[in-house]
Amino acid sequence: MTNSADVLVIGGGIIGLSCGYYLSKRGKRAFVLDKGGFADGASGACDDMILFQSKKPGINLELTFESLELYKSLLTEMEDDLGFANLGGMVLIENQQELEIMEEFVAQQRSYGLDVEVIDKREMLKKQPFLSDHIIASTYSKMDSQVDPFSVMRGFERKGALYGMKVFRRNGVVGIERLGTGDFQVATEDGNLYQAPIIVNAGGTWAGQIGTMVGANIPITPKRGQIIVTERVPPIGETNLWSAKYLVTKLRSDVVVDLNEDERTMGLSLAFSRSSGDTYLVGSTREFVGFDKNTTIGGIRAIINQTLKYLPKLRDINFIRAMAGLRPSTPDGKMLLGEHAGIEGFYTAAGHEGDGIALAPITGKLLASIVCQDQVDHRLDELSPNRFATD
Amino acid sequence: MTDDKDMFICRCEEVTLREIEQAIDEGFVTVKDVKRVTRAGMGLCQGRTCSKTIARIIAQRTGRPLEDVLPKSYRFPVRPEKMLAVENEEFNDAKNS
Repeated sequence: MTNSADVLVIGGGIIGLSCGYYLSKRGKRAFVLDKGGFADGASGACDDMILFQSKKPGINLELTFESLELYKSLLTEMEDDLGFANLGGMVLIENQQELEIMEEFVAQQRSYGLDVEVIDKREMLKKQPFLSDHIIASTYSKMDSQVDPFSVMRGFERKGALYGMKVFRRNGVVGIERLGTGDFQVATEDGNLYQAPIIVNAGGTWAGQIGTMVGANIPITPKRGQIIVTERVPPIGETNLWSAKYLVTKLRSDVVVDLNEDERTMGLSLAFSRSSGDTYLVGSTREFVGFDKNTTIGGIRAIINQTLKYLPKLRDINFIRAMAGLRPSTPDGKMLLGEHAGIEGFYTAAGHEGDGIALAPITGKLLASIVCQDQVDHRLDELSPNRFATD
Repeated sequence: MTDDKDMFICRCEEVTLREIEQAIDEGFVTVKDVKRVTRAGMGLCQGRTCSKTIARIIAQRTGRPLEDVLPKSYRFPVRPEKMLAVENEEFNDAKNS
């Protein structure tokens, strides 16, 4: 059986569903093909943040502002609260070196329009009374927000269906051919064929494998993030929390940061956010272990040890689950968004690493705008997949 | 007036039969899919109480054999565990019992 559409979106994670949603809203008949079940990949094994504070001034920060606005309008469009919350966030600073680097970083972010500040220990403890005494200060931004990825994905799918979007699950793509008509023909595991003049590769961590099928070079590497989930607990402080250490190592490769074994070998750093289910999502690791998405005892142990270092009182809280997702990471920390030169009709929207939830709406909207050939937005030139094209 | 459809299938997250049947009718036909769209099985017991019931509802509603629908694995930890357990050497035992 052959199915025809205007656009085939490969990958039904939050990015693929957002692309499918915004394309169908623009009148394109979009089919989303996914190899797994609902939220089987990274979109279902991540935290829930629309996080500003981790971002250097530049395209990622700019798009996060726009994505937050889109999320606000999606609350109405989808007639659902989407688990949206605006608790604000704090980045925890442990020594003088971190303080100086974070002060400089916060100043850069402020000049770019982000509402963020460094607060002293007293202010910090007012917002987060259970923090360990060794933390000397923190940042605070009331902008940091969050959303429930599952609700967002279901919303894209439900509302997309009203515009004619269809999702085919457990239906991995095994081959892509170009027909004489110029259309693509995509074959899936179950023997079905799908045809369309346009393909959007939203394969996330697996986008490189889809690229290979059409000769596109897509250097996306899986980065494993392990996370634990606590039982339901009352609010622990007012905000969500991160540690400065990882940010500092990313911002300043010229300074030597004192890292412990887990931080060095697993890329461990604190991410602590209250979920819409009143549990806490606590992470996380950043490990290069290929496509292995198992959780490990070592990873869970490291996350718990770290959490207790920052929040010693959590010793008596139960954790009920551990999960791991493969973040699609790119060499320059920016997504790929746009058409591939020399492969007409083949677009990629992938490589968000840890920002897939934050950037999903804006990615889908911009992708739809590119496919529909709206006026070219030159801000997006630096996201073009062609920066990695090999000749 | 409540009817059978208002019965809680997942007691931890208070998910009703109606919500689960609706998810199945929308095409979410595995225990994992139903969990992620309804939160059934995401609570304190992590589906140890309800996942078999949900599998049975899916099997009945889709006409598939129950064996095909039953979940095949559980993720660590298999039951809630205190954070302080990390100080215990037996924490290295993946069974964690």
